[in-house]
Amino acid sequence: MASNDLAARLMGDMAPQLLEFLKSKVNTFVKWDLVRFFHENPNTTDTAENIARYAGRDVATIEVEMDELVSAGVLNCQHIGDLTVYSLIEDPTMRSLVDQFILACDDRQFRVKAIYHIIRGMR
Amino acid sequence: MDRVKTGIKGLDEMLNGGLLSDTANLVEGAPGTGKSTLGMQFIYNGITQFNEPGLVMTFEEFPQQYYHDAEAFGWNFRQLEQADKLRVIMTSPEVGKADLERVGGRIEAMTREIGARRILVDSLSHFERLTDDPAELRSMLFGFINSLKREGLTSILTRESQAFIGETDGAEEDAAFMVDSYIMLRYVEIESAIRKALLVLKLRGSDHAKDIRQFEITPTGIEVRSKFEGREGIMSGSPRRMADSFIEAFVTPSKKPRP
Repeated sequence: MASNDLAARLMGDMAPQLLEFLKSKVNTFVKWDLVRFFHENPNTTDTAENIARYAGRDVATIEVEMDELVSAGVLNCQHIGDLTVYSLIEDPTMRSLVDQFILACDDRQFRVKAIYHIIRGMR
Repeated sequence: MDRVKTGIKGLDEMLNGGLLSDTANLVEGAPGTGKSTLGMQFIYNGITQFNEPGLVMTFEEFPQQYYHDAEAFGWNFRQLEQADKLRVIMTSPEVGKADLERVGGRIEAMTREIGARRILVDSLSHFERLTDDPAELRSMLFGFINSLKREGLTSILTRESQAFIGETDGAEEDAAFMVDSYIMLRYVEIESAIRKALLVLKLRGSDHAKDIRQFEITPTGIEVRSKFEGREGIMSGSPRRMADSFIEAFVTPSKKPRP
């Protein structure tokens, strides 16, 4: 109960669209990394293997998380011949949300809340 | 013939007015000679001086690095992207090539979206890891270069030279046959100092300067300067004074005993 109260207090002052983005889209640390990666490199189009190398992560982990970001409408997945490639979705609303999220992460308080939320979600 | 000016001081004059429109142009040199800088300057000047939007296609180099490097010269690439005049695309050679070959690919869409006329591909050397077969590599590069031309893009394709100073081996010459122009950048050692040399080795369908010029990377970009006077063997990396060569050729042999 006390834990829920703390969560509610922490999340209470977070912008609703960012809270929703965090809850439904960036709900793991790997996804957070990926969202940051695509925000910094917005015109990246590449395979999971290559993105894993760029991000310094294991491809098996990256692939699952990227597929979930595709389902969440953050990334786009295309098949070019026998290659499966990922890129940031073109939709301006989603791109703006990604921008807002990364910008908000500059604030330590926001990061603490977001980390707490992700850890809670992983339990 | 339509000329695509690089806007780089001294280079357009060497190119008899600029590169030719819708052509592929190879810039080859050792690491640090200024290949990427020359390419970025070509893109930046295209946008800001000639109203020709551009693309930067980077293989395995983070766009952030380009934003950072460009900023060092006072070129704000982020701002140009926001103004829909530039797109910095990070991909791999296999994906970039496959994307360009299909109808309605992402790169094709971006080209049309911003009306791109120029592209920097940095670097062609990454294609070499896709195959060990020279014939297959040549075919891959040929297809890739043609797809850029099809999009109406005038390209600068960088390629890393294996040798820091002096000539490279013949294996690197293959791509030179496929491109429309070939610019070589070289380090040159003169009197214990390293300088940089630029040579336009080829410009298909046009006359061009044949001399080897000095160039410098200044705080505002590359500037091509005068030619190396009184020296020969510049591209070997260790040029000699022409007087020394004269002595060696005409004076020294006379001292040798006749056979």
